[in-house]
Amino acid sequence: MLQSFDKPATAPANPRAEWMALLARAPLPLLEQGLADHTQSTPQWLRRPETGLMMVQGRVGGAGEKFNLGEMTVTRCALRLAPAAPATPDPALKDTPVGVAYVMGRNHRHAQLAAVADALLQTPAEWAVLEQRLLAPLRAHVQAGQTRRHAQAQTTKVDFLTVAREASGGDEEETS
Amino acid sequence: MKAQAMQSMVAGFDNEAFGSQAVFRVALQALSHPGQIITMPMDAQLPQHGHGAAALLLLGLLDADTTVWMSESLAQSDAAAWLRFHTGCPCVSDPHEAQFLWLAHGQASNWPALASLRQGSDAYPDQSATCVIEVQSLQTSAPAWVLQGPGIATQQTLQVQGLASDFQAQWADNHGRFPQGVDVFLATPTQVVGLPRTTRILNSQEA
Repeated sequence: MLQSFDKPATAPANPRAEWMALLARAPLPLLEQGLADHTQSTPQWLRRPETGLMMVQGRVGGAGEKFNLGEMTVTRCALRLAPAAPATPDPALKDTPVGVAYVMGRNHRHAQLAAVADALLQTPAEWAVLEQRLLAPLRAHVQAGQTRRHAQAQTTKVDFLTVAREASGGDEEETS
Repeated sequence: MKAQAMQSMVAGFDNEAFGSQAVFRVALQALSHPGQIITMPMDAQLPQHGHGAAALLLLGLLDADTTVWMSESLAQSDAAAWLRFHTGCPCVSDPHEAQFLWLAHGQASNWPALASLRQGSDAYPDQSATCVIEVQSLQTSAPAWVLQGPGIATQQTLQVQGLASDFQAQWADNHGRFPQGVDVFLATPTQVVGLPRTTRILNSQEA
């Protein structure tokens, strides 16, 4: 699937896709801080964090032919949160949400925390808390990064100026 | 994968390396001693549908390069999602293209004929299909069948319940195509029996 990351979507069609993209780009300290006490929980692994390569594809100009840009290192994992009450019987385990994360790089801890956050965000009660505590700072962080990069790029911008040829001077040459 | 399927997902092997090695060992043991009942070590979480031993066997054998076809009831159950999630195997809709087949118990009438599956070629007999067939029960004490062939010293008795009625005729045909032909695993919820294409099946009175 091709997705542009730097252009903000006009309206996020799928809120889960939006927060998963945010979590994947989150720096670890912000994640640890935002998740607070949830970072210590022991999840039930569906797929332990594993690192592999993924082919990144691009399109010329965002709309042209697909081409392979190159491979990148990706760490992924899937987990189910441990039930809130440890005494909960097994069938209830199915009700706790499943979190999935695909993050760039080899940081297993990052993948785990992103998946924990993804699972938590699927319960409306937790979403309200984490939206303020985790997603808002992340949005600000990503936005700040983009602004900085944009400003950096702007310093190299050259405005070419085309000087219009003097109409009168040319006429004089011709007449003399 | 649908979010709904993901929600009911269960884990695979408790320990991926040891679990899949144990499954390989069982598969090897089963095919080198045809007709012997091998107990599958059950150190994994299993989907609700499908026989446990069959699910584990495929979980250990499949990867992203092997195509699999499943009976309709399995293809629409959590077993298919589970297998795809943990192995990344592509599911095909045409049984004749599949390298592995998972045939659900109790639907023998819908199973594709062995002769219609990938048979390999004389140059590459290894490119044939491998069938995992779920059966109701396996017994070696009640001698309905007598097996002979490589891996069996004299003869091996076996009784299988839950196979298609014409399985024995299909098998004779399959055995006759050697070196081409498919290999079969019969699986109950906990046990596995291997039937490589080299094995002859006789009725007990014939032997």
